[in-house]
Amino acid sequence: MKIQEIKDQLSLSVIVDAEHMDREVTGGYVSDMLSDVIANAEAGSLWITLQTHLNIIPVASLKDLAGIVIVNGRRPDEETLSKARQEKVLVLGTELQAFEVAGRLYQLVIGNKDEDV
Amino acid sequence: MTDNLTSLRIQELAYELRIADAMSTEVISVESDATIMNVRETLRDKRISGLPVVDNHKLVGIISIENLLQSVITSGIEGRVKDSMVSEVVSVNSDEPLIYAVRKFDQFGYGRFPVVKRDSGELVGIITKGDIVKCLLRKLEVNFHEEEIEKYRASHIFEDIHSDHTTLTFQYKIKGGEYKSAGKQSGNLKVNLLRLGITPTIVRRIAIASCEAEMNIIIFTDGGELIVAVEEDKIKVNAIDEGPGIADVEKAMHEGYSTAPDWVRELGFGAGMGLPNIKNCSDEMSIDTKLGKGTNLEFIVNTRT
Amino acid sequence: MNIQKIRDILDAEVICGERYMDRNVKMACGSDLMSHVLAHIKEGDVLLLTGLTTPQVIYTSDAVDIKVISFVRGKQPEQATIDLADERKMVLLCTTLPMFESCGRLYKEGLIGCSEYDG
Repeated sequence: MKIQEIKDQLSLSVIVDAEHMDREVTGGYVSDMLSDVIANAEAGSLWITLQTHLNIIPVASLKDLAGIVIVNGRRPDEETLSKARQEKVLVLGTELQAFEVAGRLYQLVIGNKDEDV
Repeated sequence: MTDNLTSLRIQELAYELRIADAMSTEVISVESDATIMNVRETLRDKRISGLPVVDNHKLVGIISIENLLQSVITSGIEGRVKDSMVSEVVSVNSDEPLIYAVRKFDQFGYGRFPVVKRDSGELVGIITKGDIVKCLLRKLEVNFHEEEIEKYRASHIFEDIHSDHTTLTFQYKIKGGEYKSAGKQSGNLKVNLLRLGITPTIVRRIAIASCEAEMNIIIFTDGGELIVAVEEDKIKVNAIDEGPGIADVEKAMHEGYSTAPDWVRELGFGAGMGLPNIKNCSDEMSIDTKLGKGTNLEFIVNTRT
Repeated sequence: MNIQKIRDILDAEVICGERYMDRNVKMACGSDLMSHVLAHIKEGDVLLLTGLTTPQVIYTSDAVDIKVISFVRGKQPEQATIDLADERKMVLLCTTLPMFESCGRLYKEGLIGCSEYDG
C-alpha cells in the first residue's frame, strides 16, 4: 500500500513532505530506541515513535525507511525539521498513541497481504 | 476500606490462596469394596449426601444418595460400592488457586468437590462453597485488621499530635547514575502516603511527579535527595541536587526539549517530558537553579479537595 | 481482554504472575519511554508493551498501577526485574514478536489503546 493511501486512511498529518508519497510501504516498526531501529527495522517500513530528537532523521535515512510517524501529538523542533527536509525524510504526525497507529497500520499492510495469499 | 477496594481484595485473595488453604481435611470416605449398607449407615450417621470412594488413598469414585437408591432397587443392600459409584469424578487439585474451585462450582453446580494431590491422585480433602466463603472472610479480616491498624496509626497523626503546625518529613537519598533503580524511592514514598490515608488519585499524581524528579537527579547529577513534607492539607516535595544546574529553564519546561545524551534515551529516559509532566501533576511548581551549583525543584500537591 | 488471551495472541512466555492470568485489561500502551508511560497512561487496567526490561520499568509501572507487562522482541528481563514484579503481584510476559506485530495482533482482536479509552 502506498504512503498516500495510508496517510489518508489513518488521517495522518504531514509534518515534513518528502515528495515520494507514492512509495510502497512494506511494513511497520514501533520503537523509541534508536539502536533497536538501527539494528532491526527493515527498509520500506513506516517507523512509529514518540521520539522527536534530531537523531531520528539520520536513522530513518540510513535504514531507508518509508517515513516516520510521530505519535501522541508531539512535534519535533525546528532543528529536526530542517534536517528532515535536508535529508528528504518524510515525517508524519498523529494525535493517536503508538498502539493504535500500529494496530491500524498492521491491518492495512499485513491484513491485505494475508488476503493476497 | 471502601466496598470497591474490598471486592478487589477478595478477588486478589481468590487468586493468592490455594484450595488447600480452604478445604476441610477431615474427609469421610468409603472403600470400593464396602457394601451399600455401610454407605447408608455412614450417610445417615454423618448427615451427609455423598461420599468419596477411596482405595489405597487414591480417589476412585464418588457415591451419592441417588446412586444408593438406584443400587438398592437393582441389587439390594448387599451390593458393592464399586458397582454403583460414579467413577468419573470432578475433583480439584490442592495446589490450585481458590478461584479454580469457585469456577468449578459455577460450571457444575455440585455442592462439593473432592480435593486431590496433583500427581498422586491421593484424596487430601473436600471443599464446599461454605469453606471458600469462610476462608476468604478469615483472611480478609486478618489483612483488613493489619492494614487498618497501620493506616489508623498513621492517618491520625495530625489529630493525635497537638501543635499549632505539624509537618511530617521524609528524606530519600538518590544516587547519581543508578538508572536501574530509578523510581525506587518514589515507590517507597507512594507506599508511605497510602498508609497515611491520602486519596489514591492524589498519591498517583505525587508518585508520577516524584518519579520524574528522581529520574532527573539520576540522569543529570552525581546524586541528591527528595525531601517530602506532609502537612495537613498539602504535600510538598523538594528534589535537591548539586548537579550542573539547568541552563534554560523556560526551554526545559517545553515538552520535547531535552539535553539528555543518547545513551540516556536508549534507557527510556530523556525524551523531554519530565518537567512538563511534573508541572501537570502538581498544583504549584518552581525551580531554583544555578549553573554549576545545583537545582532545587519544588512541587506542591494539595490534599484537601 | 484477559491475560490468558493476550498470552495466546502474542504466543508469549509467562515469566511471573501465572496465578493472575485471569485478570482483565481494558486497554494497551506500547512504549519504550518511561516518561511517556508516566505522563499518558490512563487510570484503569492497562497492558504495557515495551522493549525495555530494566527494573525501573517495574518502578514506573508501579507508580501508575500497571499490573501486566509484556516484553517484546524476545527481550528477557534480568532477575532483579522479575523479583520486583513478583513482589508487586504483577504479570510479566515475554513475546518474540516485535512491537509492531504485537500491537497489530492485539488491536485486531479488539484491544484498544489508551487514547481511545474513555472511562
